[in-house]
Amino acid sequence: MAVRPIVRYPATVLKAPAASLEPGDEAVAICSDLVDTMRASPACVGIAAPQIGVAARAFCMDVTGHRKARSCSGLVVLINPEIVAHDGAKVAREGCMSLPDCTGNVRRALTVTVRGTTPEGAEREIVADAFEARALQHEIDHLDGLLFLDRVSSLTADLFPRKRYS
Amino acid sequence: MVAFRVMHVAVTAVGADRPGIVAAVSRVLYDVGGNIEDSRMAILGGHFAMVLIVALPDGADPENLQRALAEPAGALGLITTVRPVADAPPPHAGGTPYVVSVYGADKPGIVLQISEALAAAEVNICDLATHVVGDQEPVYVMILEVDVPPGAGPETIGSALKVIGSELGVDVAFNPMEADTL
Repeated sequence: MAVRPIVRYPATVLKAPAASLEPGDEAVAICSDLVDTMRASPACVGIAAPQIGVAARAFCMDVTGHRKARSCSGLVVLINPEIVAHDGAKVAREGCMSLPDCTGNVRRALTVTVRGTTPEGAEREIVADAFEARALQHEIDHLDGLLFLDRVSSLTADLFPRKRYS
Repeated sequence: MVAFRVMHVAVTAVGADRPGIVAAVSRVLYDVGGNIEDSRMAILGGHFAMVLIVALPDGADPENLQRALAEPAGALGLITTVRPVADAPPPHAGGTPYVVSVYGADKPGIVLQISEALAAAEVNICDLATHVVGDQEPVYVMILEVDVPPGAGPETIGSALKVIGSELGVDVAFNPMEADTL
């Protein structure tokens, strides 16, 4: 039950795969801090445990009210999430609280199906598209030690193709 | 961050594109103790163009660097310059990032008129690229990232740009830069 400071790169916890987590008191406590920290951070729609310095596979997300959201599952809090299906692709500019003052264009699936466990131990499946799907992929990447910079697909606008001159 | 005192130089190099240009130039910079801080490099019209801000150890002589660059410049057909630059002023804070897209039939004056309008509104251009795309009916495309200062009235700036666009016969879009912090 606490707002924790956001860990910033180059903290090593952000670049290492996180360990899976058993449902129970520890998972509930970590996820409670995740939600408190997300709620306390302006415009924050999701946060993963490594971002509060905890190397565990847990994240929370809530895109309620975001103007780019189509699907909206409300508050999602999962441990050990897996993307079990995805479809489509779209490039959009992302930033991250753990890498402030920097944004990049990242290609993400348009729709994803995510399976995971609530901190109390219930199985949950989320089907998401558009912004919610992007947020899920961004948070789950954190659990694998991946930052958006690991997935940048172009320098600036995707408009100018690399042209070959012979 | 570099702990010891440094001086900064602006280095430019332009030449017909080929593999090895970046390697050759950065080898020279490395060998004189330089650290490439900010840089942009791109193929422009078949020429590879580099602009770099390089930190040199304090007391280094930019003319030595210019001389050291002469060898790869000769071998690769590059035009190079080295000039000392003052320490960077702090970035002026508080602005809002916008993206300007300008596109349509190519003609002289597009960059001039758009940039004059932005300058008149005290809007700072942070990034600008122009390309001619397409072969059959070439389209001129210019994308700018700009910093709109507080109180500048983005709607007024957007309207002014659209007026210029219609005078030039090109389309202009002016939108807040979208980036989702996740």
